Amino acid sequence: MKEQELIDLIEKHVKYEEGSIEVYAPRKLKFILKKDDLVDTLLFLKRNGFVQLSFITCVDWIKDNKFELVYGLVSWEHKLTVLVKTFIDRDNPKMISIMDIWPTAKYYEQEINEFFGVYFEGNPNMSKELILENWDSMPPLRKDFDPQSYSNEKFEIRIYDYKMEDKKKK
Amino acid sequence: MSMSTVSLMEKIKNIIRGHSLWMLHYCTGCGAMELPPTMTARFDMERLGFAPMATPRQADILLVTGYLSVKTLRRLIYTYEQMQDPKWVVGFGSCTINGGIYYDSYATIKRLDLYLPVDLYIAGCMPRPEAVINGFKKLMDMIKSGEANGWKKYKENLEWYRANQRKILGDSLYVTR
Repeated sequence: MKEQELIDLIEKHVKYEEGSIEVYAPRKLKFILKKDDLVDTLLFLKRNGFVQLSFITCVDWIKDNKFELVYGLVSWEHKLTVLVKTFIDRDNPKMISIMDIWPTAKYYEQEINEFFGVYFEGNPNMSKELILENWDSMPPLRKDFDPQSYSNEKFEIRIYDYKMEDKKKK
Repeated sequence: MSMSTVSLMEKIKNIIRGHSLWMLHYCTGCGAMELPPTMTARFDMERLGFAPMATPRQADILLVTGYLSVKTLRRLIYTYEQMQDPKWVVGFGSCTINGGIYYDSYATIKRLDLYLPVDLYIAGCMPRPEAVINGFKKLMDMIKSGEANGWKKYKENLEWYRANQRKILGDSLYVTR
């Protein structure tokens, strides 16, 4: 399948309200969709050869007050890679879980929940901890989190007493 | 325990202990990369009396190579407490000394000696195999002369170490997941 064929197929079958399709590199496509159209599109893509979910990731656009969720799909049949993107609100971020389409999404979503605080509705692992243990602050990969001050507060730093060293030498 | 209270038997034991040491290398960070050349033919650590060991219960030295995240620290404490007495801890690389390049990380600790009794630090980012062998030779001399008694200090000041550990880990040290 060529890139253009997939674009035609998508445009014919998926009725999304707003969005754009872009070929950003040879054999690599990028969709930017509305939040509500995302699950339908993913389901349609899976039925048409995109069986592998490579990753889900999140980008924090703090100036626009948005989170960008990126779903990476691969088709071995068509030899195409697709990024499906959507923007969600940064305040009280919520998204529908796609665990029913790809069961592996359970852990990708759990990780995003831990590091960005996005709540995935329908995922049973939302309150469990995956990577961070005993975390007591805001999700650490948000842009307004300050790792330096958190680190200085929580972990004791080693203070070097240079004056003592000088006295010993004398 | 101060030097004056060490019995003659203990002194003899120390000299014997210092000749053959088995090392458990807990490879948390990038420091582990310097160990294969140290162990194998080029630098050949074993000619000096150091050998790698796979299990904590049979090892004498716990070598912490590199940074420690909060999550790994908990496992490291379990590993250390499984080891038989006498035991020694070597901090390897600048990450164990003051955080190194991870000084501003939200997940890594900065000073290992607050949580475990470190007998010897090998500075560097990363220390070359020559520095590693030099450090081990020094540890050997410290064991023979009775200076390296971190495992006794850990027993004596257990409350202090536990308080520091609890500050970071909470009660998770005693919780099985």
